[in-house]
Amino acid sequence: MIPPFLFWTFALLLLVFGAAVVLNRNPIASALSLVISFIALSALFMSLDAFFIGIMQVLVYAGAVMVLFLFIIMLLDLRAEERRKINVVATTGGALVALAFFAQLYLVIGQLRIASQPFAPLPPKTDDVRNVGALLFSNFNLPFQIIGVLVLVATVGVIVLSKRELR
Amino acid sequence: MISAPVLEFATVGLGLLLLLIEAFATTLPRRTIAFAGILGLLAVFVATFFVATPPPNGGFWNFYTADPLALFFKRFAIITTILVLLMMIDYAPVVRAFVHGATTEAGVGEFYALPIFTCAGLMWMASAIDFIMIFVSLELVTVSFYVLVGFMRRNAASLEAGVKYLILSAVSTGFLVYGITWIFGVTGETNLARVASAVIAGVDRGPALFGMALVLVALGFKIAAVPFQIWVPDVYQGAPTPVTAFLSVGSKAAGFVVLLRVLAPFFMLPEVQRLLVGIAVLTLIYGNLAALPQNNLKRLLAYSSIAHAGYLLIGVVAFAGNAIAFYLVAYLLMTILSFAVLVVVSQTGGDSIENFDGLSRRSPFLAFAMLIAMASLAGVPFTAGFFGKFFVFDAAIRQHHIALAAIGVITVACGFYYYFKVVRAMYWEAPVANTAIPVSALTRVAMVALMIAIVVLGVYPTPVLNALR
Repeated sequence: MIPPFLFWTFALLLLVFGAAVVLNRNPIASALSLVISFIALSALFMSLDAFFIGIMQVLVYAGAVMVLFLFIIMLLDLRAEERRKINVVATTGGALVALAFFAQLYLVIGQLRIASQPFAPLPPKTDDVRNVGALLFSNFNLPFQIIGVLVLVATVGVIVLSKRELR
Repeated sequence: MISAPVLEFATVGLGLLLLLIEAFATTLPRRTIAFAGILGLLAVFVATFFVATPPPNGGFWNFYTADPLALFFKRFAIITTILVLLMMIDYAPVVRAFVHGATTEAGVGEFYALPIFTCAGLMWMASAIDFIMIFVSLELVTVSFYVLVGFMRRNAASLEAGVKYLILSAVSTGFLVYGITWIFGVTGETNLARVASAVIAGVDRGPALFGMALVLVALGFKIAAVPFQIWVPDVYQGAPTPVTAFLSVGSKAAGFVVLLRVLAPFFMLPEVQRLLVGIAVLTLIYGNLAALPQNNLKRLLAYSSIAHAGYLLIGVVAFAGNAIAFYLVAYLLMTILSFAVLVVVSQTGGDSIENFDGLSRRSPFLAFAMLIAMASLAGVPFTAGFFGKFFVFDAAIRQHHIALAAIGVITVACGFYYYFKVVRAMYWEAPVANTAIPVSALTRVAMVALMIAIVVLGVYPTPVLNALR
């Protein structure tokens, strides 16, 4: 368990920078805000003793995926996004849908019994990485193999769609 | 006798083999890859009839089932893929024109090989009885469709369709995963059977329904139900025509299997029933009314695909697996037939209904095939489409959903108008050109087989109805 003030700090960081991703007009500022919200999220995972997911969040998302994002943004024309006018009707509609969704979420969380119960503490020496690996190759072997096929299809697709001149 | 999972692994193996042939046998004509794929899939199809009954339980069988429903839809997926591959052979010149390649046949090999992987994904979806399995197999199907929809990358419409499909589909996947986490949070299970027993034992009702509603959003996207249909017209119109056919038959059928399986644990909750009735009514009315003013046949078929999702949803509300299965078979036959005719005709002009003007004089065979397809889509008696609608309405009335069946019958009348707009163009308008339209022998055979199947199932539907027993 972590002190509550740390939870509130990270949760607030997550939300503020999450909003910044959407509100920023500059794509690079958006992408960097996303990095910070990923790091705050990973801190929340760590506070729940899910160290492996926390580390993965930083390595994969904040690291690899975001670097890719930034590269692509730098290759694109940034001005177009900054010049774009805000569509008032669409923004209002989207905001209303989001608001309705959050109202629903608020009501539903109130009804969730496990939300108000503390979890039993994990055994002191839980080896996250070993557990995840063992599960992937035993119980969840079939979905894991299907993901292999999925990655292959994605690879073929990337080559077909992006290679300058196919042979 | 073979074990059921071998079917998918054989399909994936076939796909890998075709990719290797594509990479190393560079002098081989690309059509060979398509023919090899068709032959391989036929072998897998035959193998589905020799599947051993699965053992009661085990680690693997928590995710995967080989019940009659699964086997039926595996065969469905294979037949769809074979017909799509046949259509792709006819469509190859168009793809060649819009792919940037060093040689004239660049990229066509991948175009033939990717549907095999989609087929494997569809087969896994048919067998999935666990949310994790549903998620990964759905993603395999979706990712391969991202590539196929945007395949003609020098064609602006195809690229636009690809981007739209990618973004909206990714959003719907987000809803699916979020819904699954809620259901997992409430029940502590991802296996559908164990979710069902947890729901019966009593769970937090609100959160469980919330998760279910989110999952419904994602599946509604896959089956093109209103209000999740925004992507359908643009994507269907822009994608390469065989891919449109694949999307509208394969993706939709797999979506309905998953819908039936996912709904089973939640079906006794009255809220879920009401939600489904609402979606079905909206889908029926929107799909049929929006199809009325369309002049582009591909777009017309897109709206008709939404309308058919509405009729299928009536079957889901009545929870009539047999009626849905029969409807999907009829839908497969008539949709693929109309797209196959469209592929041939559009290469002499375009996709719009005007290009079908006077088709009966340019190619009586194609016009007749289209006539059968349109009659069946509209639901004229003595075609498979009629019985499809009949069984669905019958199931709804037995479950006392009279109003829903009545709305269905009224919208069918709407359908007659827009489907027969095409027939009128073919038989009553003056031809746009006097040149005959050539049809390859293989395509002709496939079309004749589809026409015969439509008429035979329209008179004698028992074999398909018995297939699920």
